[in-house]
Amino acid sequence: MRRRDLLAAGGALVGGSLMAGCLERLGFQTQSAWRDPPLVEDRPDGVYYPALVEGMGLYGTSTDRDLGFALFYSFPHRFWNLTGSRRTKVVVRPEDSLHLMASVWDTATETVLPVDLSAEITDEAGETKTTNLWPMLSPNMGFHYGDNVALPGAGDYEITLEVGPLQTDRTEPFSGQFRDRRSATMTVHFDPSETYALDIERLGEQAGKRGTVELMELEQVPAPTVPPASELPGRLLHEGGSGDAKLLVGLVDGESRFREGSGPYLYVSPRTPYNRVMLPRMSLAATIERDGGPNTTTDLRATIDPELGVFYGVPLEAIVNGDTVSIEVQTPPQVSRHDGYETAFLEMPPIEFTVG
Amino acid sequence: MGSGPEIPRREFLKSAVAIGGTAAFSACLGREEISVPAGSTEWSSYPDRQHAWTDVLPRDDYGNTIPPRHRVLLFLNLDSASVPDPSDRETFESALRGVEAAYERSATGLLLTVSYSRSYFDRFDADGPTGLELPPPEPLAPFEDPQLDTPDAVIHLASNTAQVVLGAEEALKGEVGTLNGIEQPEAAITDLFDIERRRVGFVGEGLPAENARESDTLPEDAIAEDAPMLMGFSSDFESTQPTEDRVTIQSGPFAGGTTQHISKLLLDLDQWYTQDDRWQREAKMFCPHHAEADLIEGAGDSLGATSKVEECGGTAETAREKGVVGHSQKAAQARDENDSPLILRRDFNSTAEGVPTLHFLSLQRRIEDFVETREAMNGTDLAADSPVGQRTNNGILQYIRTERRGNYLLPPRSLRALPPANPTAATMEATDASA
Repeated sequence: MRRRDLLAAGGALVGGSLMAGCLERLGFQTQSAWRDPPLVEDRPDGVYYPALVEGMGLYGTSTDRDLGFALFYSFPHRFWNLTGSRRTKVVVRPEDSLHLMASVWDTATETVLPVDLSAEITDEAGETKTTNLWPMLSPNMGFHYGDNVALPGAGDYEITLEVGPLQTDRTEPFSGQFRDRRSATMTVHFDPSETYALDIERLGEQAGKRGTVELMELEQVPAPTVPPASELPGRLLHEGGSGDAKLLVGLVDGESRFREGSGPYLYVSPRTPYNRVMLPRMSLAATIERDGGPNTTTDLRATIDPELGVFYGVPLEAIVNGDTVSIEVQTPPQVSRHDGYETAFLEMPPIEFTVG
Repeated sequence: MGSGPEIPRREFLKSAVAIGGTAAFSACLGREEISVPAGSTEWSSYPDRQHAWTDVLPRDDYGNTIPPRHRVLLFLNLDSASVPDPSDRETFESALRGVEAAYERSATGLLLTVSYSRSYFDRFDADGPTGLELPPPEPLAPFEDPQLDTPDAVIHLASNTAQVVLGAEEALKGEVGTLNGIEQPEAAITDLFDIERRRVGFVGEGLPAENARESDTLPEDAIAEDAPMLMGFSSDFESTQPTEDRVTIQSGPFAGGTTQHISKLLLDLDQWYTQDDRWQREAKMFCPHHAEADLIEGAGDSLGATSKVEECGGTAETAREKGVVGHSQKAAQARDENDSPLILRRDFNSTAEGVPTLHFLSLQRRIEDFVETREAMNGTDLAADSPVGQRTNNGILQYIRTERRGNYLLPPRSLRALPPANPTAATMEATDASA
């Protein structure tokens, strides 16, 4: 289909009475509520309430051996891609039908996994389109995978979600797991009148203020969160903040699942400031400064643990009271962001504290 | 296909290649006002390397070779499961010489190669061709699950002239009696083979943008008018291509030949062009350093004969510090002790099946050289210890899906017609005699 045809089809898809109900309720006369939602002025450099929070629906869940898959939908969304420190705005295209979202987790421990995920979409005519979904943060979903997807029209679609083996380090009992491709196929029905009947919550005066909405809770799908400070393993050394993310630094000593042999293991557990959403795809380095000794800088390795979720850590020779630890964020979380997260976790200065 | 005068000539020609057939060929003849000289019948004047194209390809101002613009790949299966005999070889060689006699061996004329898969050689000997490894194709990334191509043979037709690839294809199939004024032999490839599939495509300045305008699935206006490939950048830098010597088999009965990998990669150009910006595309295709230093103009011609990949820095360091690593930067790791790349790219794009596609065709001394290069491109090690994902921000892997893979032996010209797995002096003489 050529662009001008797509424009026509896109208009037809959302036109008429299908959309009218939902939007008129909101006082909108056009489709602009979600096609091009207002962007809050004077956004803070941190997590903030967007102008709108769009509802979402669950298409279904499925499992393939040890992995659980969930497939969600919402209105096509504006989002922001991040490559290094370069952020680009991805606008809704006329042909986009919905925002397709997915989540993947280990079923035994309900640990959400940061592994790249593809979606193969087959329509009733057998035409197939494959897209690799972006890892993403949104106010009501937290960490997930998503993209705006154009469908040829209303009907049934078979959607296969697939992940490859996970390369990230992991602790027991994960070390032998996630080594093979896994996939789950779900049949979904796309009907604009249903899809676009989702709620749109306007946040009014709250829009633009620091904070965010609650994560949606679903019985079948684990939340993409990391534990509160009180539930972290070992000893909490420091609760720091950088670029509006919280960086909790902990130390596990002796024999543990975190390292070979016995000794101290330093970890950083970053999370969003309000809902403790995991922040994968960062790179961090730790420098330890001791009186009379040389500074040592080591890269922290991204690791997945059933209790801690995604964290960054390194085994140390020793760490003693009085040592100064600084944690440098080499790269901020390389995840796409919905409105409300696109100004957070970009400039992330180092944190520093003294062990005591 | 309509052939009325309202269709612009150039657009018509590339559609004609995609559609093929005698009607398209006839229509082409009237449209393409070009005279291609007939080929030599001094058969000893042809190079022994089928893949010796570089000497006859034109070069740009920077010395980079310009690949032939129109391509056809014919995937062939022998009608018979038995071992070919001398008369089969004679038939095939005769058909090939027919089209060579019709069009001179040049970029304007015809360049062609014939290659064979492992399943072809298995009819002779379970060990495959003598003196080299020709492994069956396999998935080459932990996240891919391609269909594996096992046709007996693949013919690659290439020319800057659309009617030449079309005409050669029709003549090989025995559909035209006279080609470019040269009478064609009775022999046709269809006497021996079924044509299992046909892949067609294009490469070169202007063709991607023209195809995007015609395609249903490409972002219109996104592809620069002068881009040589659908992703907008040139891939044919002199410094990133090895010499033909480097990819040629040095010893054994197939010395003078090479190995060929052909994969079919689907491209997500919607994400590439409408969700990433130019900076991101440069960082992902070349490396973040090139994007930050603003080294790339247009399709990358400003880089001259080199992709300047040595300025990119190490992949592991870049991945951790920049959060993104470039495709060229990764691929450049696969080099030999003389700092030569291992694979000679002769790839091209297609939109013939409605989906933007890269037919990745490469030549290398050993299939293992391709595997090594592909492993470097996978950047799997980077995904383990950096913010770079298995595909996200990992070169251009986000935008590519491997549909099919196949491995082939491209024998020297003297063995191009149905070679035995272990050619001896006797069989080679028989082939020569039959010619």
